Formats: sequence, structure tokens, C-alpha cells
Amino acid sequence: MGFDYNSLLAFIIFGVTIGVVYGIVALGISLIYSGLDIVHFAHGEMYMFGAFFGLVLAHNVGIPYPIALIGAMIMTAILGMVVERVFYRRLTRAGGGYTVAGMGMIICGFGMSVALVNVAYFIWGAEAEPFRANLDYIPRLTFPGDIKVPESYVLTAIISVALMAALHYFLRHTKTGLAVRAVAHNKDIAYLMGINVPLMISLIFGLACGLAAAAGVLIGPMQSVQVEMGYLMLMKAFAAAVVGGFGSLPGAIIGGIMVGVFENLGAAYISPSHKDIYAFLLLILVLMFKPSGLLGVEAKVKA
Amino acid sequence: MLQINDVHAGYGSLKILRGINMQVPAGEIVTLLGGNGTGKSTLLKAVSGLLPLMEGEVLFDGVDISKMKPHRRMRLGLVQVTQAKEAYPAMTVEENLVLGAYTRRDRAGTLADLEWVYEFFPVLRERRKQLSGTLSGGEVQMLVIGRGLMAKPKMLMLDEPSAALAPKVVLEIFANINRIAKTGVTVLVVEQNVRMALILAQYGYIIRDGVIMIEGEAKKLISDPAVKDSFLGGSVANTSRALRN
Repeated sequence: MGFDYNSLLAFIIFGVTIGVVYGIVALGISLIYSGLDIVHFAHGEMYMFGAFFGLVLAHNVGIPYPIALIGAMIMTAILGMVVERVFYRRLTRAGGGYTVAGMGMIICGFGMSVALVNVAYFIWGAEAEPFRANLDYIPRLTFPGDIKVPESYVLTAIISVALMAALHYFLRHTKTGLAVRAVAHNKDIAYLMGINVPLMISLIFGLACGLAAAAGVLIGPMQSVQVEMGYLMLMKAFAAAVVGGFGSLPGAIIGGIMVGVFENLGAAYISPSHKDIYAFLLLILVLMFKPSGLLGVEAKVKA
Repeated sequence: MLQINDVHAGYGSLKILRGINMQVPAGEIVTLLGGNGTGKSTLLKAVSGLLPLMEGEVLFDGVDISKMKPHRRMRLGLVQVTQAKEAYPAMTVEENLVLGAYTRRDRAGTLADLEWVYEFFPVLRERRKQLSGTLSGGEVQMLVIGRGLMAKPKMLMLDEPSAALAPKVVLEIFANINRIAKTGVTVLVVEQNVRMALILAQYGYIIRDGVIMIEGEAKKLISDPAVKDSFLGGSVANTSRALRN
């Protein structure tokens, strides 16, 4: 039996599509890390809440899928901002700011993760819910070798790339984006520039959580939506962020795509029942040879 | 323009400033002198709002700003020029300057001021697309001053503009500060370079261990033996002549 290049290509295409979703979750984690110096362990739950919000909007309220996506992003962004403002920011007072709040912040993130999962149980119950989105207006793509890519994958790829491009434009070419970068680098100097630093911190958190929600709504039609889904996504997005270089935004995307492809190839050619291990295998391999990640800098340079 | 009344401040339980009284009249250059660890930077932080006051008050243009957040104080026209090492190294020179004008809404005025800063510091125009991390020490100092000017300040506070610079570059920077003051901007210079600062300023304060030890007109302080003993060395006349050229 000869090697089937078409199925290899198919695995890669599906891997890239799922990988960009890991990438946008990782992007949020990296954004929060580079902006606020905290590793946000409850980010998987933001993704889960985003998926549920999308589900509720699309099924129960009955609005079209693309608008439900935007609605879920906004709702989750608000949820994230509230969580940050009410819980995380309190810790920074004692610690003297996000930079040194350190360990307490990590524990708080874990606690928030557990709390959010339980809130979700309370609201939506433990059952996995299928997310049926009407995507008939999206064309099915057919690649050479008769590889058919389902609508939801096509949509996912398009929306993910659009979100990344929008984030890039925002950070690089708008004045508010400049302010976000300034806050990320040094909050005291940003204050002296007249930047409303607390507001920018909320904005960073909102953006990151909105991105996670987008990932949740995009994954929804491929898998089903359930309360425990955040944990695995957090792990994979972490792997993606670390592989790409923690804190680096382009690195998060590249890391996400690598994790997605690696995982799909592993499932196809090694063993499908251990699908979730491959992300970490890749993580270990990359860290062995380049500990700072592919695009990471050795250490964050602070003034 | 700036009035500091009995200000106490510090970090946690460590009190560094113990009752500072200072005044900076509109249109003047005032200098605050002192060695390392005497409380100079702490005072600047207390005035710009990065550090809360324990006691006392700070008035700007007659308004009590003691409880205001830093960005609010800055919007009143009280602009702190950061130390040179605190430019944003990963941003270009022009991005740094635009950031200085972050609070301004008048696009045309901002662009005009960008031109003005480039005329002030032509080297910044040459380097405008360069990352500020690649500039020389003197150039970064010009950049942070230019960034301060972009905010259209009523008053500029400079944190050791001569730090780690060659004497010739220091001279150039100080000549520029003098030019800025001539445009009507009130200036407070915090310095360790006592001689240069006293030649530049009209009035001087000397801080030690969190209290003002000596104050007076700059001309008198230069010849005051008490100041001379603690700080001065070298020839005042030489520097003075060079500054005027």
C-alpha cells in the first residue's frame, strides 16, 4: 500500500483549521500575559462561557450564527472585564500592581476557573449540547485530491484570520492600540503619558476574553458544547503559547497552528485515542531545543 | 504654578519624604538637587501621582491635585519627562512622540507640534522610523523631552536629564531646556549635576534625607559655601560661558 498524500494533506488542512482556533485562545493568554504579567488560568472557562453564550443566542434566541458570534464575544468580554475588575484587581492593591501580584494571582486564576465551571453547571447542567449552526450559505471547499472541507471549518479559518488581522491592525495602527502596547511595556510611564491605565487593563482583558469566546463559538459546530470543555482548551492554548514563545502574539498563532497540525498527524498516524497527548509532546520537544519558544525573547525587557 | 505643601510620602511603612515645601512659579526654571537616595525621584512620583501622599498637599495652578490619578494630573498640563532609559525601546521614535500627545484631540495641532519637536531636535527626524532602543543616550534624552513637549505642557518636570551623558551632550540638552523655558513652559529640573542645574535655573532647592536643607536663588546658591562644600567642583565660569554659546 503506497503512502496516501491526499489524506496527509487533509490531516494538515484540518490541523491548521483547528490550530488557528487554538491560536486565538493562545493569543488572548499571551495578550493578558504581556499586558498584565499574569498567567490567566481561567481563560479556558472564558472560552466555555463564550461557546454557551453563542449557543444560547443562536438556538434559544434564534439570531443568525455570525451575529451570535459577535454577541457572544461582547458578552464574554464584559464577563472577563467584570471578573478582572471585581476579583483580580483587588489582589494587585496588596501586591503593588500586576507585575508583583505573582503567586496569589495564579491561585486566584485557578479558583476562578473552578468557580466559573460550577456557575456554568448551575446554569446549563452537565450535558453536552450539540451546536447546530445553519451554515448553508458558506461554500464547501474542495481541495485537489477530492478533499472536502466542511462549511464550519471554512468559516472558522476565515473568521480566525479576520480576527487576527483586526487585532494586529488595532495594536499597530490605532492610537488606543499604541496605548495598550505602552501599558503592556510599563504602566507607570503609560500613566505619565496621560493614558488611563485602569481602563486599558480592562480593555486588554475584554479583548482577550472576547477572542476566547470567538474560539468557543467557532469550535461549537465542530464538537459539542459542554461545561468541562475549557480545561482541555486551556492546556492546548498554553502549549500553543509556550511553543510560539510566551507573550509573543505572532508566536501564539504559529504555536496554535503547529499544535493543531501535530495533533492531527499524531492522531492519524500514531494513535487516535491519545489525541490530546501530542500537543504536550510537541511542547516538550520545542522546549528541549528552544526553551524560550519559537518566537520568544529570552526575558521580557523592562525599563 | 506648582505648590508643594508639607508633603510626606514613601513606600509601605518606609517614609522617605518628611515634610517637603516647595514652589515653582509660572515661567521659571526651578531645580531640585540632591544625591542618590535623598528622595528626589520620590518627590517627582508624589507630584505626578505615581505615589500616593501620606500627608500634605500638592497644588497645580491653584487646584488641589493631591488625590488625582496620574493621567488626570497630566491632562491639566503637568507633564513629567521620564528618565531617558524609560523611552519605549520597542516603539519607533515617532510612535514614542505620538504617544506623548496621546491625550490631545486636535490632530492639526499635534502634527504641527510634531514638526516643531523635529525642528527642535533634528536628529529625531532623521531617526523617526528607528526603534528608540537603538538610539544613543543623548538621543533618547532628546526623545523623552520631545515626548513631553508633545503633550503641550504648562509645566515640565525633568528627572535627571544629565544622567549618564557626556559633558558635551549635557550642555546641549540643558541649552534645549533653556529654549523650552523661553517658549513659556515652566520647568522643574531634578538633578545631581549641581553646577549645570544652578546655572540653568533661577531658583534651587537642595534635598537631603527627605527634607529640604537649603533653598535660595540659584545665583546665590552657586556661591554659597554650604552648597559648594557638599556638591560643587570645577569651574562655574567655564560652563556658564559654554551654555551661552
